[in-house]
Amino acid sequence: MSAPAGLELTIPAKAENVAIVRHAVAGLAEALEMGTPNVADLKTAVTEASMNVVVHAYEEGVGPLQVLAYRESDALVVVVRDFGSGIRPRAEDERHSLRLGLPLIAALTDSFAISGGPGRGTEVKIRMSLSSNGAGRGELQEVELPMGRGTEMSMPAGELLAPVLSRVISILAARANFSIDRLSDAVLLGDAISAHAPDDFPEGTARIAVEEDEGSLLVKVGPLLKGAGDRLLDGMRIPQIGGSLERLADEIRAVQEEDGEYILLRISRLPE
Amino acid sequence: MTVPVSRIGVDRLDADVAVIDLFGEHDLTTAPEFSQRLDALLGEGLSVVVDLSRSTFIDSSVLAALLAANRDADERGSGFVAAVPADETDGVRRVIEVTGLDQVLTLAPDRAGAIEAVRRGRDG
Repeated sequence: MSAPAGLELTIPAKAENVAIVRHAVAGLAEALEMGTPNVADLKTAVTEASMNVVVHAYEEGVGPLQVLAYRESDALVVVVRDFGSGIRPRAEDERHSLRLGLPLIAALTDSFAISGGPGRGTEVKIRMSLSSNGAGRGELQEVELPMGRGTEMSMPAGELLAPVLSRVISILAARANFSIDRLSDAVLLGDAISAHAPDDFPEGTARIAVEEDEGSLLVKVGPLLKGAGDRLLDGMRIPQIGGSLERLADEIRAVQEEDGEYILLRISRLPE
Repeated sequence: MTVPVSRIGVDRLDADVAVIDLFGEHDLTTAPEFSQRLDALLGEGLSVVVDLSRSTFIDSSVLAALLAANRDADERGSGFVAAVPADETDGVRRVIEVTGLDQVLTLAPDRAGAIEAVRRGRDG
């Protein structure tokens, strides 16, 4: 069974990456017009589930933290998954104990379920209604999650792409210590890329990879229609002032991948 | 759209009281530094105000750090007060109430109120 259309995010399971999950999911929830208190509670629940993965899932090295979020009737379902050894409470420094984590998830969400086991990884599935009155309770359904690598995201190339992409770019730029001006440059460029969705995305799905590399953000988005890259650059021109958003980036070019054309954007913390 | 930042500030008001300000979002990424700063200030015998009024998000590791510092302050006879907006829809207030920590921590609705409470506690 393939996963229902929705946001899929895979990142290395490190504490500082959990903010990316938190913001991507909050962006999606807000774009779906989830009530503000529910968005706040969802941010907590998703953070706690993700931190469980960071702390417990992988004994050696850093493994993947995978998150899937999709709308189901009038609720948002979020699945947080790892491929590690299974959640086992271990003796640890009391200050960073997660005794509060699972009770918080239980208290703040409409429903949640944990599944998995030794050698099979762990999956926490959270359901949060879009409206504040708790409507939308229902049975959680099993989903198959596709494998991911690195810092990658895929989602339908529709009206939700812009808010989610701008949130993810914003958190990564903030973490790379971009100045406020440069951060808003990065977000503007992200908005320009999303502006023509879904027309430019032949598969109806946008695959996004965002990576931070020595003070630069690398953003790769596609697969796009052939020639969409040129149209994107045209779209960035601002005739009124004779300029172009293109100048905000340090590099923009089209790259050919197996599944189509991708736009590669490099934005450094300091303009070159 | 707000810029997601995350800063810890320390303000020594005088020889007796310090304020730690958690600005923006704080989770397991910043909780260890927060704990260290709390330990250091309490270790100097200061009473501490934790200002959460400009915190936009805290997770259970930050709550755990608050709880541990509260116990530590209590053992030392030092004051420990957290400034948390009284608004029940505030996300930070909400996680503190849902976990019952509002019954354990001494709270004040703002920074000034917290500073006053910690001085009162110290003198009283």
